[in-house]
Parts: sequence; structure tokens; C-alpha cells
Amino acid sequence: MTIAISIDSVSMDYKTYSGIKHVLDAVSYDVADGHFVSIVGPSGVGKTTLLRLLTGLATPTGGEILVRGSKLSGAPQGLAVVLQDYTRSLMPWLTVEKNIGLPLKTQKLNKAEVKLRISDSLEEVGLTGNEKVYPWQLSGGMQQRVSIARALAVRPSILVMDEPFASVDAQTRFDLEDLVLKVRADFGITTVMVTHDIDEAVYLSDEVVVLHGSPAKVSEVVTVNLPFPRSQVATRNDPKFAKLRTRIYEKVRGL
Amino acid sequence: MSAITRRVPAGVVSTLAALLIWQVAAMVGPLSSGSFPTAIATVGAFFIILTEPILWTQLLATAQMAVVGFVLSVVLAVPVGICLGLSRFAYRSTKFTFDFFKVIPPIVIIPITILVLGPTIQMGIFLVVFANFFALAIQTAYGVRDTDVVLLETMRCYRLGTGRQILFARLPAAAPFVAVGLRIAASVALIVAVVAGLVGGAPGLGQLLAMYQTGNQIAKTFAVVLLLGILGILVSRGIVLAQRRLVFWMGK
Repeated sequence: MTIAISIDSVSMDYKTYSGIKHVLDAVSYDVADGHFVSIVGPSGVGKTTLLRLLTGLATPTGGEILVRGSKLSGAPQGLAVVLQDYTRSLMPWLTVEKNIGLPLKTQKLNKAEVKLRISDSLEEVGLTGNEKVYPWQLSGGMQQRVSIARALAVRPSILVMDEPFASVDAQTRFDLEDLVLKVRADFGITTVMVTHDIDEAVYLSDEVVVLHGSPAKVSEVVTVNLPFPRSQVATRNDPKFAKLRTRIYEKVRGL
Repeated sequence: MSAITRRVPAGVVSTLAALLIWQVAAMVGPLSSGSFPTAIATVGAFFIILTEPILWTQLLATAQMAVVGFVLSVVLAVPVGICLGLSRFAYRSTKFTFDFFKVIPPIVIIPITILVLGPTIQMGIFLVVFANFFALAIQTAYGVRDTDVVLLETMRCYRLGTGRQILFARLPAAAPFVAVGLRIAASVALIVAVVAGLVGGAPGLGQLLAMYQTGNQIAKTFAVVLLLGILGILVSRGIVLAQRRLVFWMGK
């Protein structure tokens, strides 16, 4: 299996007023091509820091991150992101279609191709016909669908999601999780997701990486061998699901 | 009943009430000494001055100072503000000087401007620009700097460069701040244009006001004040309407 992202003994220190804070300590993990990986861990452990390193927004103070074999500097080619706070990551002054079309400006596409990408992505997330509305005219769940559509439109090779469903209600959350499974089945994009919801991590992932400690290390990598297609009822009732979530829960708690 | 039909009579009611209180106070109250015209006399004088050509020449002069001054201050201050907002060094190094000039009331530099420019339209325009430039530039810079960091990081993740970040994120993010600045600047432009005439002797409604006052034409003096109030409301309403269209996402 080919490696999409290689995290090689990555450390991260921050300078603060009270001295140097060690956030990550020699974190190593390889994300296999096409895999869906979740990063879980207690609050403040450094999950989001790791995501910032993966997206090139920050540079590790030790070790290195390789994306398809080349060292990361800045955002890697083919990256798409979905962040928790859709109200802050979508532009209120642009319509849905212009929001989705904006990242496409870095790709050399003609107008017809851009239009097609936008309508295809909106169809994938079930928002066909909402091209001309503004994000703030949509519900929270729909806005997050727009974020996902924006991510899909760039035809990403890597998708990074930071607590993507933490700001929506429970029912919408289930719907969006199933949307992500569908996207995964359709496109097989290599995905790294940070979440604090262990059930969600198990439900969506091939592998769950548990970060623990201060500075954080990888304390466990759990392979989720639940069959596809997954469903909210059957998968969550699978005895294996319960075992996996218990094991991850204990690791997150440091037990 | 819709919100609009309810709002209009409410405004009319309070206006009539204010006029009534004015009328009564000027007739029987402590203000009934004769140097304070009644509401009816003032409204009457208001319609009389509207027929006098001098009002229209002076109104034109005031409008010229206010509008030219306003447009000039916007054209100068907004680009400067954008540059200051984009460069941390420029922002920090100019912050003190801009704040210093911002707090100088335009009225106190009138003696200097009279020395340099004389009591002219140009002086009025200069005062309007001086009154607005620094506040508007700082406001714009503040808006540019206020761009949501999550939005900018999202753009960086999508490999959108500095130019696109400015065009699609920083400038629109600054727009609501600029809009608020423009609303204040428009009112200030009108006030300062009048003050230029009243205190500095420049042409315009301020000069007319001073003229009626020294001629002891009390009702007409009050009528000019009434006219300025109406102008002020029209300007501010006009800017709010424009703002709703241009910065339609504001507060969403």
C-alpha cells in the first residue's frame, strides 16, 4: 500500500511568555493512500496543532512531514479543508457558487469546467439549486455541506477536516457523517479528521490514531475493521463497534 | 400591520409632538421672552427663505464643500487605510501620528487655514478632508486588520495567494468598517462645511446663519438650523440605504 502522508517523528514547540511549551513529541504515523484516518485525544492534547502541520500552516520544530514523498512547505498540492466553524471559513460576501469556485482559481480551468465542478459538488452534497444564495441564508448543516462541496470541487487528493461536525445538531451530524461516507465511497480521498467524538471516529475511519500525554505522543493506533457500507443503525450496533470504542476511550483517558 | 406602516406614523407623531412642545414653550414657557421664535414662526420663515435666491447659492456652496471634501477624504483615506492595514510596520509606525491628528477638532485649525487659504470654498474643503481623513484611514486599516484569521488560513490551505487574499477576503472584510466610517464622515462633512462658514467666514449656510444672526432675523436663523437638521437626516438616511446594498452581509 502506498503512503500518502508520512509523519516522521514530528515535534512541535511553541514559545510562550512563560517559556517553551512542548506540544508534540516525536509523533510518527503514516497515512495510507485512500484511507480515512481520525485523530482523537483529550482536549488540548495537540490534535489541531498536528492538523496545522499537515496543512502547512505551521512548520514542525522537529522531524518532517512528507506528502507523497516530498517534504511539506506550505499547503500541499491537492489539499482541501473542512473546518469546524463554517461561518468563519465561508465568505458571507460571496454566493455559494462563488465560495465553491474561489479555490478553483488556482487551477487552470475554463468557465464551463468551473461551472460543472460547482454543480457536480453541490449535487454530491445534496444542495443542487443553491448556487445563487449566500451561505448565511442556509442552515448550519447546509453551510457545512457547502464547505464539503468546496473541498470536493478542487478534486482533492488529501482532505483535512478539523472537528467538522462539532457545530451542528445531533440529527444533522448523523446526516453529515453519512454524507462523508458517501463521498468516501465515491472518491476514496485520503482523509485526516480531528474529532473529539470517539463514536464518530470509529464510525467513519479505517484507522483511529490516539494522541495522549503532554507533550503528546501517539499512544495507540486502532484499526477499524468494520465492514462497508456502514450504517448508523447496523454499524453502531455491531459488537465490534462497542469493543473498538471502549478500547479507544480507555486510551484517550490514558487507562 | 406591516413594520413600515407602523414606523412612519410613529415618526410623524413624535415630530408633531416636538413641534407642539416647542410652540407651547415659546409662547408661555420660560423661553417666551421674544428672542425665541415659535415653531409656527420658524416653519413660516423656513418656507420664506426657500424662496430667496441667496439661500440656494449658499446651499450650493455648502454642498460643494461637503461633497467635494467628503469624496476627497474617501479617495485619499481608504487607499491609505488599506495600505496601513496590510502592513503591520506601516500601521504601527503611523498609529501615533494619525491618532494625534484625529483628535484635533477641525475648528481649532480654522485660524491657520484662514491664514493660508483665506475664507474660501477651498478652505471649507480642506477642513472637511482634515476632519475625516485620519479617522477614516484608521477605521479602514482597522477593518483590513480585522479579517478573520480562520478565513485567511482556509485560503492558504487552498493555496490562494496574497493577492487573492486581499481581493476576496481582506477588502470585503474591511467594507463594513469603511461603511461605518463613511456614515460618520458624511455627517461630519456637512457639519464642518457649515462651521467653515459660521466661524471661518467661508461661503455657505454657515455664513448665512451668521448673517441672519447678526441681522437679528431670529426666525430665519432658526429656519436655517431647521434646514440643516433636515439635510443631516437626508444625508445619513441616504448613506444607510447605500450601505444596506453595498455591505448586504453586514450583521449576518
